[in-house]
Amino acid sequence: MRTNRTVVGCTTFLALLSGLPAAFARDIHYGAIFDDDVIACDQLHWRGQIEESRECYSELLRNSDSLAARAEAAWALKDLQTANSLFQQAMRLNPDDVVTRVRWGDLYADSHQDAEAMEIYREALERDENDPFAQLGAARVLAGSFDDAANAFLTPLLTDPTKADGARVGALLLSARVALENGRRDEAVDALDDAEEIVNRNDWPPLEIFALRAAADLLNNVTESSWTEASLEYNPHYGGIYEVPAHFYVITRRYRGAIDLYQKAVDIDSSLASAHEELGVNLLRDNQVSRARKHLVTAHDQDPFSPIAVNTLRLLDSFANFTLINDPEMPNDAGLEPVTLRLHKEEAAAIAPYAIQLTRDSIKEFTERYNFQLREPVIIEMYPDHEDFAVRTAGMPGLGILGATFGYVVAMDSPSGRPPEHFQWGTTLWHELAHVFTLEATDHLVPRWFSEGISVFEEWRSGPNPGVRIPMSVYNAMNDDRFLPVAELDEGFLRPTYEEQIIVSYMQAGLVCLYIDSEYGAESLRALLYKFGEGTLTGEAIEAVLGISPEEFDKGFDRYVRSEHGAILDNFEDWHRTQLSIQQKLSDEDWSGIIELAKHLISLLPGYIEPDSPYLALAHAHDELGERQKAIAVLETFSANGGYDPAALKRLGHWLYEVNRLSDAIDILQSVNLVDPLDQELHGALGDMLLEDQRAEEALLEYSIALALNPHDKATAYYRMANAYHELGNDEQSQNYLLQALDVAPNFRPAQRLLLDLMRADSDNQH
Amino acid sequence: MAVAPSLEHDLKFSSRFIAGFLICAPFTAFSAMHVVVVEGLGGEARYIEQFAEQVAVLESAAQSLTDENQIRVFRADDVSRDEVLQYFADLKSATTNSDQVALFLIGHGSYDDHEYKFNIPGPDLTGEDIAEMLNSLPSTSQLLVNTSSASGAIAELAANENRMLILATKSGVERHATRFGGYFAAALQDPSADIDKNQVISAAEAFSFAERQVDDYFERNGQLATEHPRLEGNRADRFSVARLGEVRRDTADSVLTDLIAERDEINAMINSLRLEQDNMTPENYRSALLRHMVRLAETEEAIEARETELGDEN
Repeated sequence: MRTNRTVVGCTTFLALLSGLPAAFARDIHYGAIFDDDVIACDQLHWRGQIEESRECYSELLRNSDSLAARAEAAWALKDLQTANSLFQQAMRLNPDDVVTRVRWGDLYADSHQDAEAMEIYREALERDENDPFAQLGAARVLAGSFDDAANAFLTPLLTDPTKADGARVGALLLSARVALENGRRDEAVDALDDAEEIVNRNDWPPLEIFALRAAADLLNNVTESSWTEASLEYNPHYGGIYEVPAHFYVITRRYRGAIDLYQKAVDIDSSLASAHEELGVNLLRDNQVSRARKHLVTAHDQDPFSPIAVNTLRLLDSFANFTLINDPEMPNDAGLEPVTLRLHKEEAAAIAPYAIQLTRDSIKEFTERYNFQLREPVIIEMYPDHEDFAVRTAGMPGLGILGATFGYVVAMDSPSGRPPEHFQWGTTLWHELAHVFTLEATDHLVPRWFSEGISVFEEWRSGPNPGVRIPMSVYNAMNDDRFLPVAELDEGFLRPTYEEQIIVSYMQAGLVCLYIDSEYGAESLRALLYKFGEGTLTGEAIEAVLGISPEEFDKGFDRYVRSEHGAILDNFEDWHRTQLSIQQKLSDEDWSGIIELAKHLISLLPGYIEPDSPYLALAHAHDELGERQKAIAVLETFSANGGYDPAALKRLGHWLYEVNRLSDAIDILQSVNLVDPLDQELHGALGDMLLEDQRAEEALLEYSIALALNPHDKATAYYRMANAYHELGNDEQSQNYLLQALDVAPNFRPAQRLLLDLMRADSDNQH
Repeated sequence: MAVAPSLEHDLKFSSRFIAGFLICAPFTAFSAMHVVVVEGLGGEARYIEQFAEQVAVLESAAQSLTDENQIRVFRADDVSRDEVLQYFADLKSATTNSDQVALFLIGHGSYDDHEYKFNIPGPDLTGEDIAEMLNSLPSTSQLLVNTSSASGAIAELAANENRMLILATKSGVERHATRFGGYFAAALQDPSADIDKNQVISAAEAFSFAERQVDDYFERNGQLATEHPRLEGNRADRFSVARLGEVRRDTADSVLTDLIAERDEINAMINSLRLEQDNMTPENYRSALLRHMVRLAETEEAIEARETELGDEN
């Protein structure tokens, strides 16, 4: 049995008591410190005179009379325990020294201990509610966790010109960064201009401004920024000039570009732990595992407090429990695109055959539809432990998604990672494989909404379980008129403003693509994709390809949604009321009472196949009333509409078998493998049906998987293998498996009979 | 893409199956088998239904193994502590040391860190009651199956060299209603629980099947397990709890008797071969195994043919 590994969250590390040196660049504090001796050392550091600054800090640590100055020196020398201890002593001696208290908070923030940092900032603000550096520190911590409460601290710094220059610079840099992340380039540049004016006036290092300006250039597709040169001239060892822009490559999914920049960052500053860490995480996204590990180890050595490096290294350690499956195993001339699977050893045999087939089918489908030939092997990883998948994707646990694509690398939950009634792994894989195409065909320039829209559209249209599936929460949003204008649809993914906005945006994006496909044709979807590949924004792309304004598009889309989903939108209250009635009647076992209610809901929304689908209630009612044929018909319709509840489909499969619809039973049970491939009894039963249908090769696959899943009844499992091999004419293998069956159960009559048949046939052949 | 397991690996013999194989017809070595099933209070409707179903299965399984007058089922709506104790007092004089006795407790249990209780109407059966009523019997082959919550609390109390224990929980601390009982009952009707395919489900086989189902349930649902079944005692593989096939009649027919003897001899040879496996090359072992298995199959075929002949003659 696999157990969940412990994954480290943001706030689980103890305070700075380990005594291990952390490694991060000396921050530019913009006047938060007044000690001239400290500033003198800092100025050497900010100019890239590393050895000289190190000697300066060492001298300060040895000889300064000021506890705070010695704390700063220890911090700069990366001796955090000493720094913490000195700050503590300074606070004991002078608890009202707000300046030093805030710096102490900054030390905790720099070592990823945000909760402790916030506590210290609050203590500082209790003593001086207007202390600007305490406000800045709090804003930074809250902004880092996307908490809107940051604004309460940030706004006064941005709007009050009497606030300390240094705090204003910090606030302007923070708001510039956030603006760039939100796509508001002009706003960012204005903030940087304001910051630059203050920095120049105070003769502070302009490095962070240079870095954000270089990032702005990058987002404007200027890769060789003059600001990089300026920064290197000022300080040839300032890694941030590459690290900051790299971050923007990451958030726009240009991982290889990010890797190049992070590498340059550590090339000029090998002690930049954060860059090593991000380099490691992004190398992993590019499947460069050994290189990734090297940088993550360095990051962890330099900064043992960062949970990302630890979590990711633990994840890499867990790869020992995974197996790599290459298909084809050897390069061949058949023209098959190479596919690599990284699957947990206990599941690999059950998942690999289906995953490979799905991948091949999707590659064929998408190559043709999007006119793009893959250039590299696709790598697919499936994680039984969802938190491992979360760490793989984001470096941290607690992620809500099912799969992620980084280019040619796809990572997703394994079928065993989630309850099967809520997770169609085959459909998720199809969705992610569509991302491979949309990302690579556009060099990762496709906007998020369109890439998600295509993936959802392909799930619905061409996936292993086709059908437009929309959760009720999204209908709620439609009913509340919460769909976004198409030109703003990215916001729904990147900056959601309510809890369910992301799933609503997924569905909206899928519907947009469905609308474009039906109204303007498949070639328009393709044309849009390639237009985005030129770096065109959504509004312009819509106009260029579809010949209408985004506003006109939105009107047309609204009409489409109304016409396709008007029945449910006009009867929303009725739907919810009737659902409640059905649930009550299920509890009361009032089977007759359910029939008409369920049929009514199905007429309103025939595509609704979620776990509370009326199809399931209706089928259950018919079955309880002894109306098996009707129950079968209902579940067949459920399946045809994309329903995937594995318990219901397994039941349907066996019912179909019982009424001698063998081929239909097989189809249904095969579809269950794309939801729940780890049910060894299902594989056995399906194998039996396939054998009965004279499809011995397919039966053998099912039996092989059943055997690989460590069945309880091994004798039967071996016997089934023997039987299938016998049907395929491979009596040598048949005999091998019979011996294994009889070794477990010597008195197993069916195996004994088959053995005698084989021996006698062999004897007859020899005569 | 699935890779079949290697032959060599899978021909390595499990000691568990040696033990099972050595004893081919466990219960016929004893004089009689007595089965007692006590159904406890269900409380909620779903448990009442589940317990009734499990008891029905146990009763049916007992009927496949022994005479009706050696089976006693106490239903939940008609059981009392006094009646159960009295029944065991009577059983004491009705059984010998060569008899087998199986007691199945199907219901809810409780444990207050001092005393275990099996919930029935009126005064509950305590752990001490259960141990004493079994201890009082002369039978040297006893099976206690307790599928209730907290059943593990009686492990030490009920432990005895003559007795096998199958308990749904590892201790009294596991107080949730168990899933084990349902899976144990299912084992008695499921051919996949019959690991050695001798058409008889042993206590060990039923336990193994149910334990696996419990593990799989919690793993597939991503839940922490609230129960950990346990099996105590060494001879659970020799204690039958259900028969799947028909009982083979005793026969005076010398041909059939000889064939059966031959079959037993071949089985013994196979067992000896297994013990020698480590001293043989894989090829030699496989070759010898194949010869014995073919002979065994031919003998079994002859036995079936003879039985059909005898049946036709009758």
